[in-house]
Amino acid sequence: MQNSLTSRRNFLKKMAAAAAMTAAASMFPGIIFASEQDANLPKGANLDWKKGPCRFCGVGCGILVGVDKGKAVAVKGDPNCSVNKGLLCVKGYHQIMCTQAKDRLTHALVKKNGRYVQTPINEALDIVANKMKETIEKHGKDSVAMYTSGQSTIPEGYVASKLMKGAIGTNNLDCNARLCMASAVAGFLTTFGADEPMGCYEDIEHADYFITWGNNMAEMHPVLFSRMLEQKNRRGAKIIDFATRTTRSSTASNKSILFEPQTDLAVANAICYEIINNGWVNKSFVENHVNFSKGLTNMGYGLEDKFKFSDKPTKIDFESYKKFLEDYTPEKVAKYSKVSVKDIKYLAAIYGDPNKKVVSYWCMGMNQHTRGTWINNLVYNIHLLTGKISQPGNGPFSLTGQPSACGTAREVGTFTHKLPKGVVTNEKHRRLAAKIWNVPYERIPSKPTYHATEMFRAVDRGDIKFIWTQVTNPLVSLPKTSRYRPGMEKESCFVVVSDVFPTPTSDVADVILPASWHIEKSGLYGNSERRTQHWNQMVEGPGETTPDAWMTIEVARRMGYGDLFPYSEENHVEEIYKEYTQFHEGAKHGMAPLEVLKKESGAIWPYVNGKSTQWRFNAKYDPACDNGKDFHFYGKPDGKAVIWQRPYEPAPEVPDAEYPFWLNTGRVIEHWHTGSMTRRIPVLHKAVPEAYVEFHPDDAKRLGIRNGENIKVSSRRGSCILPASINQRGLPTKGQVFVPFFDENMLINDVTLDAFCPISKEPDYKKCAVKVEKA
Amino acid sequence: MKKRLGIISLFVILFIAFITIWNYSYQLGLEEAYIPIEDHSNIYAIPSESGVFKRSEHALDYSNMPIDENHQRSLTTYYKNRAYHGAPPSIPHPVEEHQNMGGQSCLKCHENGGFTEKFKAYAPVTPHPELVNCKQCHVEQNTKTLFTSGHYASVEAPKAGVNNALLGSPPMIPHQIQLRENCLSCHAGPSAPKEIRVTHPERVNCRQCHVPNNKEMAAVGTFKRVSNEE
Repeated sequence: MQNSLTSRRNFLKKMAAAAAMTAAASMFPGIIFASEQDANLPKGANLDWKKGPCRFCGVGCGILVGVDKGKAVAVKGDPNCSVNKGLLCVKGYHQIMCTQAKDRLTHALVKKNGRYVQTPINEALDIVANKMKETIEKHGKDSVAMYTSGQSTIPEGYVASKLMKGAIGTNNLDCNARLCMASAVAGFLTTFGADEPMGCYEDIEHADYFITWGNNMAEMHPVLFSRMLEQKNRRGAKIIDFATRTTRSSTASNKSILFEPQTDLAVANAICYEIINNGWVNKSFVENHVNFSKGLTNMGYGLEDKFKFSDKPTKIDFESYKKFLEDYTPEKVAKYSKVSVKDIKYLAAIYGDPNKKVVSYWCMGMNQHTRGTWINNLVYNIHLLTGKISQPGNGPFSLTGQPSACGTAREVGTFTHKLPKGVVTNEKHRRLAAKIWNVPYERIPSKPTYHATEMFRAVDRGDIKFIWTQVTNPLVSLPKTSRYRPGMEKESCFVVVSDVFPTPTSDVADVILPASWHIEKSGLYGNSERRTQHWNQMVEGPGETTPDAWMTIEVARRMGYGDLFPYSEENHVEEIYKEYTQFHEGAKHGMAPLEVLKKESGAIWPYVNGKSTQWRFNAKYDPACDNGKDFHFYGKPDGKAVIWQRPYEPAPEVPDAEYPFWLNTGRVIEHWHTGSMTRRIPVLHKAVPEAYVEFHPDDAKRLGIRNGENIKVSSRRGSCILPASINQRGLPTKGQVFVPFFDENMLINDVTLDAFCPISKEPDYKKCAVKVEKA
Repeated sequence: MKKRLGIISLFVILFIAFITIWNYSYQLGLEEAYIPIEDHSNIYAIPSESGVFKRSEHALDYSNMPIDENHQRSLTTYYKNRAYHGAPPSIPHPVEEHQNMGGQSCLKCHENGGFTEKFKAYAPVTPHPELVNCKQCHVEQNTKTLFTSGHYASVEAPKAGVNNALLGSPPMIPHQIQLRENCLSCHAGPSAPKEIRVTHPERVNCRQCHVPNNKEMAAVGTFKRVSNEE
């Protein structure tokens, strides 16, 4: 008896100690980790650690760069950054190594008689400005274009927008975020009337279930996934992977559910059907905070040039929505989605359980989709029907792929239809921009022109005669590069490319401008959770490398817009940010002041009264809610979010007898986007030296394909030869092949289709039909 | 009359039913015995990807475990037991059961490890407990002499602490991972050689930060831009 009592006491003591340890570790799991990294550093290394965000993905980890005698020599995770708490991924730890690559662009290169001639940067900028001016005089404002990036810093995006829309007066500005985030934006605007997620990464610490929709987070958002794994191991939170391909994430998840490409639309509707049919609807939430609408169907796929579409929303009532869902019973959907009735009901039961907190994560699987806006809407429907939104641990969360897709592309608005606040079609928004920019209001055109794909079609047609790309590599990343590469090579268009390294895009340039890399300039990024992050220049760049923002300003001045760009070279980043934040003043989008951003590892907007707003639209956390209710979706005039009736529609090109395989494209953890940086980092290149084409083992067996054998993948548009990969990094479903797109020596985008979502204009890189044969 | 007709028709019905049922069962009996083959082909684990998470349920225990300073293994003893680095280790202790494959008996100690009084050591944990024919690759060493000596080429084993590209950056994986996909089995717990015992086993997704530096592929040469002007 005595014995058992002491052992029980002992046990309780141990439990308490363990609980305290767990609590401490989950609060600061990274601090221990980062200090261990310090411990591993050789003694005598007297490093100066400088704070900034990571250069790569949209997670936006805080990094500390070790600088020794003016050179960046080490990287570690910032233990004070709440995003990553001291942890990074393999790309993050080695990022600075790319700057030392031998073929770094250090000087401006101007093409003369077919050869690139090293030219002083001032002369090169003169050439660019003169050419741009001359083209406008000869062919009009809409003959010049700029194509920027979700990797542009906030100041870079801002001056590009000001130059194109405010100074020149054309909407010919779009960015590569059109290829990755446009559907997310359109989804947010149609459902909530306000862009960007309502929740934040802290949801991970509260959720019981993580459901990932077509999202291989273990490789694409590894640091967030590590936070999820931590919750899985410590608290028993569950990860459910809903995808078209078995990946590292699937193997780490509690459950992996595979579906046939494009049928996510039907499965999402089936989940809503089950929720309504089983009485799991949060009635008071739906009554108070939700409207029902439907839009046009059979929208088309944007395959033809100058394709136009605008949706016509009509309000509907709950009953007709319910009736619409009858086509999406789990039994009907199971037939073509290849998801079992049981699994559909399982997913619905998780979303429907009022006692379970659920976060949905997605990124390119849902966004790069010819019905991208719809599938974003449909997942919001699930969360709105159950009222699981805008609360800690409950909510839909759209992840981004680029470090400032949110901060620059979406918030500054480097899209053809956007302004730093609002859209060009809205007179009020144009007047505000004109006022802050100090330009005549009439100068900002009210009609959007070219979105990314259409912009390069216009180059091919000869409508655009001058294009300047910054911080992006479209001739690897556009869909159907087999059309757009010859298009860019045409004499009719003068091509200026600003980059850090030579790329297939700079290969077709008339002028190449040498850009400063990340830590060689100061800047600001904005990550997926609305966090604005600032960094100061840490090291000097080589040769005549110049920050992109400064090159834009220099060209603007040479074109005679000097009075609109009165910034100083040393301090332009801060001056521009201060001017820019005027656009977002107020409780709904107020940005943190620079002083705060310099001190802290980023701050989440709306930044109101010295505080980040972690959960928008929830009156408990968001000071902008003023309708007196618990939730306020203030993006919409009546304060209500919208549940959209969106049907399943097939993909534009599906496998047939001649082209029997689906082609899916994506990334690997080691490489980032087109690989222009990561392939120049020895550690990453050694780990994954080249692209490959993944097969399902059964398909490989049937076709007699062995691992490593060269395979020609061809579509109606082009072909590409790659080594086969069987049962290695990933496992596509039967009848599907997968190719990572980072490899400029194996351009899989020559094969992909340039169909896009008619609402968001974002292309679908995940689905087209191909055939495979031994090469 | 009516009654009789009723009885006759009842019998007719019963007879027809009998014929039908008998015929049906006779036809069934003609079919060959059939045992459906279960199709397991749709279960593919991707060993290189799933292996890393295999022992993750023990990760928290590993990180909370105190280190037994007196009974640590070192890399030297780890390599000593292998013909070359990456070779299957030989069995360094006497084995009593000679008839079996090893699975049942070896796994008793080597599936999850633990301290053995007899050897005053922690049993190493196998990264592939699903392969139960242990003695297929792991054999005893019953003599110290050689049949004939020879010039065996020696492969230099990777060293610990020198595999990072930058100061303090996560070391790369300097060895092949085939059959050793599960990192935690060798890099965590009391049987892990002290030089390679990970400080943060709770991180689980090892290959988020640590990537192999010697791909088991034909050399693809250095990355060269096809269209570089120079």
